[in-house]
Amino acid sequence: MSNSKRGIIKRIKNMLSNKEISCKELTEKYLSEIKKSNLNAYVTVCEEKAYKDAEKIDEKISSGEELNFLEGVPMALKDIISTDGIETTCCSKILSGYKPIFDATVWKKLKQNGAVLLGKLNMDEFAMGSSCENSCIGGAKNPHNINHVSGGSSGGSASAVAGNIAAYALGTDTGGSVRQPASFCGVVGLKPTYGAVSRYGVIAYASGFDQVGPIAQTVEDVSLVFDAISGYDFHDSTSNPNVKMKTFNGINNDIKGLKIGIPKEYYDGVDEKIKLSIEEAVKVYESMGATIEYFDFPEVKYSLPVYYILACAEATSNLARFDGVRYGYRTEHYKDINEMICKTRSEGFGPEVKRRILLGNYVLSSGYYDSYYKKAQNLRAVIIKAFDRAFEKYDVLITPTSPVTAFECNKKFSNPQEIYLADICTVPVNTVGIPGISVPCGFDSKGLPIGMQILGPKFSESKLLNVAHKYETFTDYKNNKCVEMGVRL
Amino acid sequence: MISRDEMLNLANLSKLYLSEDEIEDAMKEMDGMIDFANQIKEMSPNSHETPNINGLSNALRDDEVIESYPQNKILENVNGGKDGYFYIKKYN
Amino acid sequence: MSYDLVVGLETHVELLTKTKIFCGCKNSFGSEPNTNCCPICIGLPGTLPKLNREVVNFAIKAGLALNCKINLNSKMDRKNYVYPDLSKAYQISQFYTPICKNGYVELSSGKRIRIHQIHMEEDAGKLVHKSGDVYVDYNRGGVPLLEIVTEPDISSSEEAREYVEKLQMIMRYIGVSDCKMQEGSMRCDVNVSVKPEGSRVLGTRTEIKNMNSITFMTKAIDYEYKRHVAVIESGEKVVQQTLRYVESTNSTESMRSKEDAQDYRYFGDPDLVEINLDDLYIEQIRNTLPELPTNRFKRYTNKFGIPEKDALLIVKYKNVSDFFEAASAGLKNPKAVSNFIIGQIFRNIETETEREKFEILVSPKQLHELVKLIEDGKINMNLAKKTFSKMLESGKDVTDFISEDDMKGISDNEIEALCREAVSKNEAAAKDYLSGKEKAIKAILGYVMKATKGKGDALKIEKKLVEIINQ
Repeated sequence: MSNSKRGIIKRIKNMLSNKEISCKELTEKYLSEIKKSNLNAYVTVCEEKAYKDAEKIDEKISSGEELNFLEGVPMALKDIISTDGIETTCCSKILSGYKPIFDATVWKKLKQNGAVLLGKLNMDEFAMGSSCENSCIGGAKNPHNINHVSGGSSGGSASAVAGNIAAYALGTDTGGSVRQPASFCGVVGLKPTYGAVSRYGVIAYASGFDQVGPIAQTVEDVSLVFDAISGYDFHDSTSNPNVKMKTFNGINNDIKGLKIGIPKEYYDGVDEKIKLSIEEAVKVYESMGATIEYFDFPEVKYSLPVYYILACAEATSNLARFDGVRYGYRTEHYKDINEMICKTRSEGFGPEVKRRILLGNYVLSSGYYDSYYKKAQNLRAVIIKAFDRAFEKYDVLITPTSPVTAFECNKKFSNPQEIYLADICTVPVNTVGIPGISVPCGFDSKGLPIGMQILGPKFSESKLLNVAHKYETFTDYKNNKCVEMGVRL
Repeated sequence: MISRDEMLNLANLSKLYLSEDEIEDAMKEMDGMIDFANQIKEMSPNSHETPNINGLSNALRDDEVIESYPQNKILENVNGGKDGYFYIKKYN
Repeated sequence: MSYDLVVGLETHVELLTKTKIFCGCKNSFGSEPNTNCCPICIGLPGTLPKLNREVVNFAIKAGLALNCKINLNSKMDRKNYVYPDLSKAYQISQFYTPICKNGYVELSSGKRIRIHQIHMEEDAGKLVHKSGDVYVDYNRGGVPLLEIVTEPDISSSEEAREYVEKLQMIMRYIGVSDCKMQEGSMRCDVNVSVKPEGSRVLGTRTEIKNMNSITFMTKAIDYEYKRHVAVIESGEKVVQQTLRYVESTNSTESMRSKEDAQDYRYFGDPDLVEINLDDLYIEQIRNTLPELPTNRFKRYTNKFGIPEKDALLIVKYKNVSDFFEAASAGLKNPKAVSNFIIGQIFRNIETETEREKFEILVSPKQLHELVKLIEDGKINMNLAKKTFSKMLESGKDVTDFISEDDMKGISDNEIEALCREAVSKNEAAAKDYLSGKEKAIKAILGYVMKATKGKGDALKIEKKLVEIINQ
């Protein structure tokens, strides 16, 4: 059976339960495909541990115990998620050799659900980037065309899932880092509501924006993983204690009467082919009984600079702890402590991380705080209100995930800021703290995937997954080359 | 344009070392970043509030002791440290 | 020209919570290095702080005890600076919205030292320098602190001393901190400036960091005052800078000047949510506050007639004051209890630390029983004092030293008869007394006291004797 649009997770569960394959054999398949892969999706592979965990699942199966949905499913984590005893580096030289002594809550939850961890996935250093090329091991490639980037920052996560060398993966999304690579690689990626998934143990880029999100082949799989990782966590003060979402059960609900808003500003400067694909998708919803309305959304244009100012400010502070004293890289030659710290950081961080640290310090430093940081905070409040108003009228908004499809590797941009424009469609979601999902909705002329982004108000994940699933069941991509790649089940 | 002194101050705040031949380039790059940030100067917010992004308050913990990690675990990422401490050797 | 001294104090007190401010590790002093630590304490990436409720409660208590307004809505901020003892490279503190504002401490002169604000924050770890190598211990990292900031209202080193002592006393009373300066659980940063007498314009200030003794603090203030005046008189300008006090030379030296002033880049910590309080919650905490020392002092002096000097000595130490409260409850003359404490107990425990601890063998109940016997006229003061000495040494009850028979007392008739007998047997002394030698009466008194085996009340007997002699 080839990889179809049916979820892999359910299929694996059935195969394991029916003893069509043992968990160890399944894990072996994935590990051998990882070895063969030229995608550069993994930064660390946990072969020994994966086999050990798989054997435990097999024991469980042979003892006749019922399996959970995620039990025995081989998966992988973005290298920003702390894994006890397993190197976690954010693909940065400064964290080389660092092995956490505790598990991130999301990983703890998946572990309890019997997940088999294949390894840690490539990413832009400290999640700063939109191509995965800011990684200390070089970028993860796009399975649809390895001369193109996987997107970022969770490039390894999207690449591994699209290339079938992980059944599903977790990424993190601070300004689009789950959705944009999912869109580039033709898979599904969900950025949950801020506070829906614990950030504990997830190495912080911008604490007020970061969220962990699943990347998988189908909306159904994303839903299953989201249900497992979401929910209140005592250790994360920003996680919401009042919401417990179970999205899977409502995934097939009828969407008749759904009010879809299309914010015009999101379509400025977007490739024609992408615009067309989204228009086609919107027609599908119309045919299902949804109403469509285009509307003006001028405030959304504030998002990009507001996001970069606030995220860089937080990043500056979050990344100041990498001083070589307690973990990770330390320079060899220094005169005194201050020089040890400065040299460690100068040698350990890549150029994009340094740029953002410097900008963050600029906007926070005395004399500039009010005109940058504080003003950006005020504008953030304005954008939040604008989205509140939009969601009074519409159930969901539909936009492109990215104004472009996956660009070529090593593409030269005229300046570092040009690439920031690639985040223009994804950044508002993080600025406001709402959920957003990217689902594949076609291919461009080069055969590179196009993503559609669906946005909803806070804690509307059930609705988003439902709406995304409805579209997904309708579509069938015959020219998806990745079907023949990696592990075939 | 960012001045040389400002650039050096930023580098110092950032604990990043800039060598003589890096300063010029760093200043140029910084100007690009600042230009990008300056986009918000044209935007006038009708708001002076600081947003509470998730509307939560009072996430508090009871004053109950949770066992600490063993010293060797704490020092695991510095090869065990020295005499129970994190250790920064004097460089000669 | 003469100059006014202007001093403001920033005092850090470590809180007596069981755990640290943002994690469940023990808040204790003197453990092996890096043993009260977890991933949060050492700032491992991905860890998040979770605020200890007791720290908020203690901050409110301190605010109420220092007459502050409690902010119903406050937040934690990040104070960014890189130093190896600060594992996250930022200290979680409060800058934009401190939990308490606008309070005061009243000095004995009636002058009020205004409190600008009180905020909650975490302590840093400790660096140990050994022959050029640096060792870091994060046990203290995350220990909860309150920083109490005054307005520049203090105008002498003596006022500074009194303010700090009062603060210490109040914090101890409400149980939020033991304020042991020698152990570092209380530390002061001192801002000093001078201005021409009566001028309203403040001079350039210098800040002396981390004073860990009241005596050194007053010395440092006096030194800085003289130094500032000398600089100004010589026509120079005082340089704004941060100083450290050098004990060995009783002088200050520069740590850093204004040009290297730290830019802390404060901003709201996105990892922590707002602290929202309501009046009911604050009232509930107010109800848990004990009577404060200033109140006790007023009660002791006004109601009990205890001399101010004595009252101050009792109130100064919470344990002593609590002992006094327990021992004197229900007695007609609480002053007698204070006399025993000051006259006899304090004679044996002289150091501040001992008095603070106040570990003595006698319980408040035992002292209460002793004073009750005096009040009931069953024993006289002399005997009581002797007995109390024995009690202090042994911890035994008063009844172990004085028999039932001793306590029967002596009737007025018996006393009158004995007095008459004494006067007739000591005619010479009686005559001497009449001729003006007042001391002569003591000899006759001695006779009576001996006859009563010390049970009689000397004052009463002396009065009777005078009456008889004058007849």
